[in-house]
Amino acid sequence: MTTPRGISTKEKLLSIVDDVETIVKELLETTIAQKQDKLSESDQSQIMQLLLRKNDELKSTLNLASEQQEIDQKMLQLGSEVYKHDQDIQMLQKHLKEADTLLSTALFQAKQKLDQIQKAQTHQVGSEDLIRFAHRISSTNAVAAPATWAPGDPRRPYPTDIEMRMGFLARINDMPISQVLDSMPPIMSRGGDQLYPNFTQQPWYSTSSEMSSSVSSLFANIPEPTVRGNANHDDVEVMSTDSSSSSSSDSQ
Amino acid sequence: MGSVSVEDIDVDFLALIYDIIKCVERENTESAQSKRSEFQESSQKIQEFHRKLDVTRDQIRKLPGIDYSKEDQIKKLEALRKQLVLKKKLLQKYKDMCALEGVKQYLNPSNAN
Repeated sequence: MTTPRGISTKEKLLSIVDDVETIVKELLETTIAQKQDKLSESDQSQIMQLLLRKNDELKSTLNLASEQQEIDQKMLQLGSEVYKHDQDIQMLQKHLKEADTLLSTALFQAKQKLDQIQKAQTHQVGSEDLIRFAHRISSTNAVAAPATWAPGDPRRPYPTDIEMRMGFLARINDMPISQVLDSMPPIMSRGGDQLYPNFTQQPWYSTSSEMSSSVSSLFANIPEPTVRGNANHDDVEVMSTDSSSSSSSDSQ
Repeated sequence: MGSVSVEDIDVDFLALIYDIIKCVERENTESAQSKRSEFQESSQKIQEFHRKLDVTRDQIRKLPGIDYSKEDQIKKLEALRKQLVLKKKLLQKYKDMCALEGVKQYLNPSNAN
């Protein structure tokens, strides 16, 4: 027996039970009724047949319900399996998202490193050059006074008094104003670059040869350090640290 | 709410109905003295029948898995099966695409050793 579409088996069973109740009520009424009100034999037998049919229908619908219970069990199993797969998929998606974030960050950093490597390869600077210039800077007390400096000590950061007197500013008082004005522009425009290299315009990493030349010009006026024994060498080392600290403070 | 199976439901109403009809018929034919006892018996049986009907209704309401018709239920079962197949395919796709050993170990912990 097939269940009509849209009506659940539960509703069907309940309606059959209701039908059985109604039929039995009808049957009892006709049994109790007086002879003149009683239904004919054939009607009674029809009611009985109907009751029997409903009884069969109830049993077959119960069999159907039993089958549906088995299907329901399968559905529960499938549902739990689907839920488990859902959990797995969500967990995997979470892991993949995390991996994606980590990889994209790593990729970005690797690209930055590659750029830096490429830049370093195109603008190579010899380490010996760097060390030599660093030594020149620190050994001549050009940036900071030596740690053991005391009044009267000729070692001090440039420019010293003698060098200031030798410079343009010291001689400016001796010159007439017109000469000063005439002499200033050419110095600023022509010789400025050579005498006082422009730090802001020249990139420090331009090329190795450029750098060598620019650094050479920068320190052209700085005398080569004279080796004065171990004591002086110690001073150089101290000055190296001092120079780094002072340059960092200058840059601030 | 305890679950009920179909086997628990007693739908054997015919014997009880037969008893009730017999009682009522006897009630109509017997003398006034015995009529009263027959009436009591028949009303008792009718009450019993009603009780049995109510119990059956309650049990039917508690029966699991009959909220749909069989056709609808089978459709839902098929839909669930399809869903499961799709989810399995998706999982397999994820497994195939990932090249990281750690994720593979997570997916197949048994194959890790």
